Amino acid sequence: MDRYQWLLFLHVTGAFLVLGGATMAAVFNIAALRREQPSQIVVLFKLAQIGAISVMAGMTVALVFGLWLVADVDFIDWSDAWVIIALVLWFVANALGSAGGRRDKGTRELAERLAAEGDSPSAALRARLRDPLSLALSYGSGIAVIAILALMIWKPGS
Amino acid sequence: MLAILRPDSWNLPLFLHVLGAAAVTGATAATFVAAISVGRWPWLRLVVARTLLLAVFPSWLLMRLAGAWEDSRSSIGDGSGWLDVGYLVGDAGFVLLLLAMILGAVGVRRPQKLWPVRAVAVLSGVYLVALLVAMFAMSGKPGS
Repeated sequence: MDRYQWLLFLHVTGAFLVLGGATMAAVFNIAALRREQPSQIVVLFKLAQIGAISVMAGMTVALVFGLWLVADVDFIDWSDAWVIIALVLWFVANALGSAGGRRDKGTRELAERLAAEGDSPSAALRARLRDPLSLALSYGSGIAVIAILALMIWKPGS
Repeated sequence: MLAILRPDSWNLPLFLHVLGAAAVTGATAATFVAAISVGRWPWLRLVVARTLLLAVFPSWLLMRLAGAWEDSRSSIGDGSGWLDVGYLVGDAGFVLLLLAMILGAVGVRRPQKLWPVRAVAVLSGVYLVALLVAMFAMSGKPGS
């Protein structure tokens, strides 16, 4: 494999870590929505954390090797519209994901407290799990990442 | 260079194939993590069975069908090893997934037995490694 193939492989690996990690986090978050017992919700949030770590690592790897690819090859230019839009979306996805993650952390802490205080179902926890803003931030981040994938494939304007 | 020279009509199947492949990898990883945690939290066996049925299988279907659609349009990779690896992992993966889904359901119906979920952990772990090998072959295209 030549350098272009290696860079592309590492860039795609980053993208897979992001999309795969987001899928994993979504699986456990959706499972948490169907549970009532706070201790079970704590476990599912901890498992979802593995997906979130994969997303964070993948965002960095995809960005580093993506920038390297743009610098290295002569058929992609820094001024290409799809490159600029993808970079903007990368920041948008990170910002939305971080804000959603902070709200999820608050929900997990509430679940941990309730689990330690008798582990009974709670209306407050149920409401936090279904909070429209938290869900919109997390899924908005996912949609931004899918939009980046679409840009990488269609490369509009190139 | 191939990415730049690709005709527009190949883009939608490629997009769906890559999206399905990433989703099947993440959902298989979720199945594996949940299955190895069942010994500690037995109620996770329902999460394992549902993930296989509602996340892994639909994303496998998207990956496989979009991959076949892409291959029918493009001549890239015809007769090359990296494409064979993709087909092998895709098709052999169906057998592993079918077996894992059956064992996942057995694990839910017979909660006193741990071996079906342990078998799901092994199958999903093996499939996860196979998916990563396929990702290496299809994105790096070694030998091409």
